[in-house]
Amino acid sequence: MATLELDSITKTFQDGDEEIVAVDDVSLSIDDGEFLVVVGPSGCGKSTTLRMVAGLETITSGTLSIDNRVVNDVKSQDRDIAMVFQSYALYPHMSVRQNMSFGLEESTDLPDDEINRMVSETGEMLGISNLLDRKPSDLSGGQQQRVALGRAIVRDPEVFLMDEPLSNLDAKLRAEMRTELQRLQNDLGVTTVYVTHDQTEAMTMGDRIAILDGGELQQVATPLECYHEPTNQFVASFLGEPSMNFFDVTLEGDRLVGEVFEYSIDESVQSDLGGVTDLRLGIRPEAVELVDEGGEHAFETTVDVVEPMGDENTVYLHFDPDADPETAATLVATIDGFNRVSEGDTVTARVPEDAIHVFDRATGEALHNRSMEDAAAQIDL
Amino acid sequence: MSDTEPRTDGGTMTTTARLRRTLDQTTVEDAGLYVVLIFAAAFYLVPIESGLVTSFKTGTAIIETAPFAPPGASGLTFEKWQAAIDALLRGMGNSLLYAVPATVISAFVGSVTAYGLTIPTWKQSYKAVVLMLIIAGIFIPYQAVLVPLTQFWSQWVQLTQTLSFVWALGVPDDYAGIIELVITHVAYGIPICTLLFRTYYKTMSDEMIESARLDGATLRRVYRRIVLPLSGPMFAVVLIYQFTQIWNDLLFTLVLVSTESSPAAPVVLILAGLGTSLEGQDFALRMAGAFFAALPTLAVYIFFGEEFAEGVAA
Repeated sequence: MATLELDSITKTFQDGDEEIVAVDDVSLSIDDGEFLVVVGPSGCGKSTTLRMVAGLETITSGTLSIDNRVVNDVKSQDRDIAMVFQSYALYPHMSVRQNMSFGLEESTDLPDDEINRMVSETGEMLGISNLLDRKPSDLSGGQQQRVALGRAIVRDPEVFLMDEPLSNLDAKLRAEMRTELQRLQNDLGVTTVYVTHDQTEAMTMGDRIAILDGGELQQVATPLECYHEPTNQFVASFLGEPSMNFFDVTLEGDRLVGEVFEYSIDESVQSDLGGVTDLRLGIRPEAVELVDEGGEHAFETTVDVVEPMGDENTVYLHFDPDADPETAATLVATIDGFNRVSEGDTVTARVPEDAIHVFDRATGEALHNRSMEDAAAQIDL
Repeated sequence: MSDTEPRTDGGTMTTTARLRRTLDQTTVEDAGLYVVLIFAAAFYLVPIESGLVTSFKTGTAIIETAPFAPPGASGLTFEKWQAAIDALLRGMGNSLLYAVPATVISAFVGSVTAYGLTIPTWKQSYKAVVLMLIIAGIFIPYQAVLVPLTQFWSQWVQLTQTLSFVWALGVPDDYAGIIELVITHVAYGIPICTLLFRTYYKTMSDEMIESARLDGATLRRVYRRIVLPLSGPMFAVVLIYQFTQIWNDLLFTLVLVSTESSPAAPVVLILAGLGTSLEGQDFALRMAGAFFAALPTLAVYIFFGEEFAEGVAA
């Protein structure tokens, strides 16, 4: 168990004459026993970052330390790290037992019977005791995944690295394994870095999440902070399903003027904006309310599409009933599943002021976020 | 198929009925295909069949019957096989003495070289240069190296002198030629073996190797415990290919051992002169000798056949 420190880690690749920056000046500090999820779209540098921690890629600049020991030049096999790969990377010619004991045989001097005992214990913990004598090719995807996990756990390493370990599983199994992985990590208390492109995994599993885009670190915070207080528009749009609504607006006095609507804001919000006038208004779908009668911050809209999810409905609303549905500004709202609205209905949507986010249109930086307290209070209602 | 009656009692259907049914379903295209296939098979098999029947014929039977016709009761003899085995057996031993070590060593060296050129992360540009040099070796024809090869073994490395302590033990010093053959064939086999193994190792999962490295295994241990055990199919391909090449090679044996009267004469050297004399060719003896000398290569194919198919497919 250990702390893990990334200090200004940068990775560049040479592609002909061009230099490609895969990871740009990423600094992260991961506490002992913490579960950090690194998330971002494909090609954002998250896997490269993980591979640098593992020692599978060289670090162009910056320092990497495990337990305050700089390990930039320490070989993979001496870093005391275990990694779970997306493809599981099991050794096909070895039985499950041999797969799991391989690491202990190579990295420790433990006697065979001790190794056997540890493998059996780990197998029991993961519920794969009955599979120990089978070959990987005889196992299902989920079972292989467990073996890959077992192979990492049995070594009791300083740090776990996981590179999209669940993405080859079907949806149901993935959800189960998500819970189980979290429980395991809690029980074992091993510092874990978990890479995924799946925002659900990021939100549900991590103690903290680190969001990467274009090789740059966007935000590191608890899942709820990232969700409710994103530092920029990228984070706001990346987390949440369906994703946040955005509208280009201009500040005119105390009103935000958009193409199809005007939205008045009070002084506290205005003061956050710091004089920037080219803005982008953001509102989460679940914050949009359908109300019976108009009023402040309420808009008359037409229902374009309804997607029933069972517990809730996702509705796509248009401000202008005659607009071309392909191009018109759309407001997405998630509403209660029993709230019967159908396509073509005219409904009044309220966008509560305490739930809005305002971003600088030029930089994407968040100028005003809803406060966590307000959000929590609303959930209590 | 619409005009064939549905089968209700398949178990009791007679052979003729089944045959007629099959014929009914055969189209002209199918028939044409089979004719071509049978013709092609016959085309390739006739020389082998002719050789085989000839090897069992007496001198008169060879003159009186067509080459591919069976000998008949009066013309049948096993004498020639007996003679061929007697003449070639010592050569077989000598051939195995260099073909087996040369095959195994070149396959192993090729495998290690390919591993070194594929798996570890060195600078791409170094790898490419080394690989290019090795691959270039494949394209050097045997004939081009005959003179330097003889000079190398006769002037620079004189095994007859260097290994004098071995000959003192009573081993005829002609066997220096066998050692020269082993080393020459290994050197000549490394490029193709390396290329074959490299192609195979390229398809291995990178993540699996990386996983083994993270599990604490050194490069050498990764080879020993992961890569080598997974190389079985490619070893079958390389062993069959190399063994056949080395066993059948006449040129290097002519240059390095040269005389069939030598105690170290390989089977190909003896076979070259078998059944030829001033009185003419003894076809039956030559055929029997050829078949007998080909038995080890055949055995290797049968022995590694399954892995071979897997390796070729990979």
